[in-house]
Amino acid sequence: MRNAHQMIAPPAIPRLSPPAWGRAGAGGPVALALTLLLAAPAAADTSAVVQDHARPGYDAFAKAAATLATIDGCNPDTLRPAFHAAYDAWMQVAHLHLGPAEAEGRSLAILYWPDPKGLGAKAQAALLTGTPLTPEAMAQHSVAARGLSGLERLLYPTGTLPADPCPLIQATADDLARMGDELTRDWLPFGDLLLTAGQPGNEKFLKPEEATQALFTQLATGLEFIADRQIGRPLATFDKPRPDLAQGHAAGRGMQNITLSLQALRDLTQKLNPDSPKTLAAFDRAITLARGIESIDSIADPQGWLKLEILQQAVRAARDTAVAELGPALGVELGFNSQDGD
Amino acid sequence: MRLLSTLLLTAVAAPALAATPEEVTTHYADLALAGYQDSLTTAQALQRAVAALIATPSDETLAAAKTAWLAARVPYQQTEAFRFGNPIVDDWEGRVNAWPLDEGLIDYVSAGYGNEENQLATLNVVATPTFTLSGNEIDATAITPALIAETLHEADGIEANVASGYHAIEFLLWGQDLNGTEPGAGARPFTDFATGDACTGGNCDRRAAYLQAATDLLVADLTEMVDNWDTDGPARAAVTTDPQAGLLAMLTGMGSLSYGELAGERTKLGLMLNDPEEEHDCFSDNTHNSHFYDGLGIRNVYLGSYTRTDGSVLAGPSLADLVAAAEPGVHTQLKAELDASVAALQALKDAGDSGRTFDTLIAPGNAEGEALIMAAVNALVTQTASIDRAVTALGLSKVDFEGSDSLDSPEAVFQ
Repeated sequence: MRNAHQMIAPPAIPRLSPPAWGRAGAGGPVALALTLLLAAPAAADTSAVVQDHARPGYDAFAKAAATLATIDGCNPDTLRPAFHAAYDAWMQVAHLHLGPAEAEGRSLAILYWPDPKGLGAKAQAALLTGTPLTPEAMAQHSVAARGLSGLERLLYPTGTLPADPCPLIQATADDLARMGDELTRDWLPFGDLLLTAGQPGNEKFLKPEEATQALFTQLATGLEFIADRQIGRPLATFDKPRPDLAQGHAAGRGMQNITLSLQALRDLTQKLNPDSPKTLAAFDRAITLARGIESIDSIADPQGWLKLEILQQAVRAARDTAVAELGPALGVELGFNSQDGD
Repeated sequence: MRLLSTLLLTAVAAPALAATPEEVTTHYADLALAGYQDSLTTAQALQRAVAALIATPSDETLAAAKTAWLAARVPYQQTEAFRFGNPIVDDWEGRVNAWPLDEGLIDYVSAGYGNEENQLATLNVVATPTFTLSGNEIDATAITPALIAETLHEADGIEANVASGYHAIEFLLWGQDLNGTEPGAGARPFTDFATGDACTGGNCDRRAAYLQAATDLLVADLTEMVDNWDTDGPARAAVTTDPQAGLLAMLTGMGSLSYGELAGERTKLGLMLNDPEEEHDCFSDNTHNSHFYDGLGIRNVYLGSYTRTDGSVLAGPSLADLVAAAEPGVHTQLKAELDASVAALQALKDAGDSGRTFDTLIAPGNAEGEALIMAAVNALVTQTASIDRAVTALGLSKVDFEGSDSLDSPEAVFQ
């Protein structure tokens, strides 16, 4: 019942891409050997996304999560800046629902949101009052209790916590740092799969266009997520706005998450195809509108609500423009994605 | 019928006799019609069983109603492949199969139940004849299909306020499953529908009225969907008027159900949350069957074949024919992957049938359960990539289908 735009992939004229010999080395010796041995090079758009968007994005998140995990003590005032830094970093890559982020439910565990049934608070309450947790044990628990949403509830509690949150804060931060390291590690081989799409032995991406399609699909899906969820949930209805349902609301990140998500997807667009003037302009319009809304709480007023609704329309326009402009330019169709469905 | 089916199946096996997109989409609409007709007749049987339960509450009549509900799920779940890609179905679906629900909206629940995001999560309409909703006084003294559909369902704009459909009925028949990730389903006693002093749970007459109204509503909604696929129905027209658009809708239905919905939302997410309420049929512990018939429905669409509830087989020109003619390698791989996902879902079904139901498999630390579940998830994700390839092989374009208004006139999207 929760609606999602459906998307499918198209025919398309294969685009001739310049070789990417020089860049393959970053994938490690195996990728280098493959690239040297095999015929079809990765499309330039794919390598730019892998090497200048995804891998550095995950590296930055891993570092920020590690910094958060190394802080001694549990004073929220001390932890909050590092928490926000890690959250900011995740916003740069949160839209990449493929490969290592999908494996072992990592993207769900790093930022479980939305949580329409309130499962996070429920699961976390049990952990707070239970036996102390090791990071290994933390990894076995519900994704709803973990990650950035879990930390947000502990660092910005809405009521009195039933027990000392210190051990759980530490275990959650350690768990987050571990996942950051794993993402960085696993994006080396996964990035190589994208870079060697269509080459013999690559069973994941049978043609170069399949890698491009996978990344292009993340762009459209990411924009739908911003419009339908990050904006749509707080926007709710004119009669009953729900700013409290915004992503990161307790930590005061409602508008910041929207703006950062738009910026991250603009960067993805630029890496996929720098020659996308209409899409980039649509992004700039949306980002300007987002910056014009100081706080998500302003939507409690009709004027503020309308501003957010206009932003939602601008994000949907950016999505439609991106599909119409980049699809033909890249020679790929939209593929299915993990966010399809309810 | 059997002979005809055999002949048609033979034709499927020989893709050299390539079908046309017109034939394939028309047959697809026939499959959908048959699926919704079977869903309707089994829902009507449920309606009769519910009436018998209310007239004469007993262990036997309650068990018979549960059996009828389980039987109704078999054809319905196979129709889920018709949903994504056809807005006429997708916009309607939330009325009949919405999930997960805050069941405390409907009836009594255990202590400690609640949802911080939903103030109506413990409303308990069965026990509350009048209440305030979004500032309006609601008179719920008579529980009718209209009250459920127009006032209660998605009340306050909250999607967890599921008041109608299979899962609302499931809750009223089984009750909450309080066994967590241990074996056992909901255990509502038949006396929850008893009259006079025998009544348990309070307000048995209102509970019975709710169950009857929700079942009547389900039958009405399914009747509407049967009509939508009939000769002049809009759902049929949506996939047959432009056969290329119809083929795209068929593959969209297969791909979106495989990946985002069944593999993701309904299976992997439950495992990652270790939460037994995050199972599709959480009151009845029937999730293994619902998932299996979803998977079967996806393969049905590709092969153009559906085994009806009476055992007859409806088979005809299929997507498989078209893909095999266009790109044999894609067809061979996709067919093998569809068989593999049905086999993986069969393993989940076998586990469930032997008592290892989905909610026990998602218990933290159940490695065998995780392996069974992830095998199904991975098979569904794998076949989705080949469904993408089939879209490309048939030269279908979502981008073209959407149109490029937004490029030609960027302001058009603001209209």
